[in-house]
Amino acid sequence: MTSAPATPSASAAPALLRWWQPRPFELGAMEMFVMRAAFAALAFWNIKWETAPYIEQKFPNGLARFIDLTWLGHHPPSDLTQYVVIGFLVLYVIGFFPALGFLPTAVFATLIGTLLNSQGAINHSWQMVTLMGLAQLVVYTWPRQTESGRNWSILIRPDLQRHRQAVFASLNVIAASYVVCGIVKLINSDGMWIYKAPLLAVQLLKTHYSHFYDTLNMPPEWLQTITEFLLENPNFARLLFGSGLLIELLGFVILISRRWSFLGGIVIIALHLSISRLMNLNFEAHMIAVLIYCVNLPGILRLTKRSA
Amino acid sequence: MDATCCQPLRRFSTKLPFPVMLVMVLALYLIREEFPFSNFPMYSNISEEADVTFVTDQNDQPLPMKGLFKTSSGSSKKMYKKELSALTNPAGRDSDHATAEERAKAGKAVLDSLILRLRRPAVPPTTTALRFHVRTFRAGIDPDDGPAPEKLAEHPLPPL
Repeated sequence: MTSAPATPSASAAPALLRWWQPRPFELGAMEMFVMRAAFAALAFWNIKWETAPYIEQKFPNGLARFIDLTWLGHHPPSDLTQYVVIGFLVLYVIGFFPALGFLPTAVFATLIGTLLNSQGAINHSWQMVTLMGLAQLVVYTWPRQTESGRNWSILIRPDLQRHRQAVFASLNVIAASYVVCGIVKLINSDGMWIYKAPLLAVQLLKTHYSHFYDTLNMPPEWLQTITEFLLENPNFARLLFGSGLLIELLGFVILISRRWSFLGGIVIIALHLSISRLMNLNFEAHMIAVLIYCVNLPGILRLTKRSA
Repeated sequence: MDATCCQPLRRFSTKLPFPVMLVMVLALYLIREEFPFSNFPMYSNISEEADVTFVTDQNDQPLPMKGLFKTSSGSSKKMYKKELSALTNPAGRDSDHATAEERAKAGKAVLDSLILRLRRPAVPPTTTALRFHVRTFRAGIDPDDGPAPEKLAEHPLPPL
């Protein structure tokens, strides 16, 4: 892994750093290169390019409240357009004018996601990754303030510190998404979410039968057994679903340090895998984003070396 | 960021825990569902009932929604609920108290939207009509013993 030179933030006395006011992690250039490459692939894959069926926006959402986006349904992005977007993403990955490199992806992700979410059904698979991309775009577009004025050249060739800020912005989006999800559960249920959690058993039935009506694959035989078990053992259900709520509310731990980020990332992925198994609800994009930025596979070696 | 223009804001932020994330959490909570923002409210309201919508042929035999429309049962349920709210909310009523007529109207609107996305080659050749249904599951009641699915709308299909 490439060792990074000390940065102003990193050179501050460690004793003065407070865990609840974290700063960008000291990631190496190669780690962040892998992150950008993986995130570019994820962001491109996360866009639902097949817009042809969406020729109306019956329930406008977001930008669609102000702009008619149905032209995307009438004129879906061609293969050539998608290749051009990939071409721009290469700039982002190599770190040359990354703001420009990511701009077309951010534009298409936002517009297509908005159009699809203007059909009357809000899909929650795309928001977090799109916001992560937009947050990076803001970071990479920001000029650096120096004693002699604003330094715009940082936009063309960002240094390690700027790349670290972009990663940190993404981590903040991930943390905020999970924390707000937990808070909304508490607020919308008047603080009774854990008490009512055994009733989530009926949601298990719903999600598995939804899957059946999507594919005609029969729900698993254990479904009825587990739903009955959860209703008959409400405290077990509260413990099970309550631990999921706790993981969401504690999502901010991924910002504390590399090690916390790794541990938090593993726990969040485990949460998603258990939800996939139990409820047949798959949030692949969220899991991959957490794998890229929190677990940070190329950085594991560095983690273990430090702990040795 | 590097800018020094917002010193008072920066000083204030030094007193906050996880300041950037805190601002994001507040923004996501207040903006709610405006893409790309979301407060991710899935499963925040826990009810004793849960609905599923699905499509069948003219004999009420279920058809695979994803194959037919590239739209999931879950999405069609959300569309149905949205249509139902649009009908009942102006009258000051909750969509849970919709009349059979309103449910049928909302179901027809959803089925009309789905038909626009229909992939005709995926439709079994003997199918002459598509029906849109809603099925309700209740806590503690075996799905087979629960209320029968309600047919909301039907759309005839011209022969291939």
